[in-house]
Amino acid sequence: MRRRCLALGAALALVGCAHSSMVLLPDEDGGHGEVTIVKRGTETVVDQPNSRANLNGSRTTVRPLGPKGLGAREAMLVSGLPPPPKSYSLYFLEGTTEMTATSAPRLEEIRTEIASRPGAAVEVTGHTDTVGSEADNDRLSRQRADEILMLLVSRGFDRSIMSASGRGERDLQVPTADNVSSPVNRRVEVIVR
Amino acid sequence: MLRESLILGLLATLASSPDTAEIGRIKSSIGPATIERGADSMPAPVGQQLIAGDWLVTGANGRMGLTFVDNTRFSVGPDSRIALKTFEYDPTTQKGSFVAKVERGSIAIVSGRINKSGGRSGMQIETPDATLEPHGTRFIVVVK
Repeated sequence: MRRRCLALGAALALVGCAHSSMVLLPDEDGGHGEVTIVKRGTETVVDQPNSRANLNGSRTTVRPLGPKGLGAREAMLVSGLPPPPKSYSLYFLEGTTEMTATSAPRLEEIRTEIASRPGAAVEVTGHTDTVGSEADNDRLSRQRADEILMLLVSRGFDRSIMSASGRGERDLQVPTADNVSSPVNRRVEVIVR
Repeated sequence: MLRESLILGLLATLASSPDTAEIGRIKSSIGPATIERGADSMPAPVGQQLIAGDWLVTGANGRMGLTFVDNTRFSVGPDSRIALKTFEYDPTTQKGSFVAKVERGSIAIVSGRINKSGGRSGMQIETPDATLEPHGTRFIVVVK
């Protein structure tokens, strides 16, 4: 197919010869990233959302999608994307697995979210504050995640769709200096995918 | 009893070895959609776990939606063959490497954490003619 395209060149291009292409879309939150196309050692950066770049042919050209927008098949691909993961923060009374009064109702929200997602998977991620060494906090955050995972299992959540991980002090909810005790940063995040 | 514990031990080893670790799950599956794993070809029902090295294969009118453990999302269109060549991810550092190859067909991708880890892209999408390196974005690839 590709060879025939090359042989017939411009004539076929006029009637819509099959081109491989990449379309850069805006992000779901309205921003956008970029895509670098590497072809035979040449790099082309596509940084304008709603633009299309051809992938075959000797030269990469980038054009705006224009008023026609996406093709019907491309639009179907976009609508077939699974929903973005959703994240919930849970806080616990210090040194316990007892949830704070404001966190406790989150469990039912999480349950509902899991039920609404076919093939759901859940990641329980622990976070610490900046007290202690990084290595200790990695271990602590993972232990905390394991504890809360078991708590969720005891409340009827399906073990087979859950995993635990620890982020240590890498992802502070409220940035602090090192060695600062912070109840807001000591939390467990439940990510529903 | 001894044999049972040996088998259990073996299963535990398999479950924790990186080659068989879950990298993502099927979230939607319509029409002819299969996963090729080594010499096996299996159906791709919703909830099916994926591992590195799997091929995503759809026939005419086949479609698949997937979410990976780093939050990357795929929507695979009809008549596609897509290899999940490399998937390495550390949930603690949220860094890793994801290489997929679109041999033919179409796919929409929302890149995930691997793609946002530091200056390097961490993600590569290979096509027969060019390699794409996304930087935190949503895009469509069609290979004809």
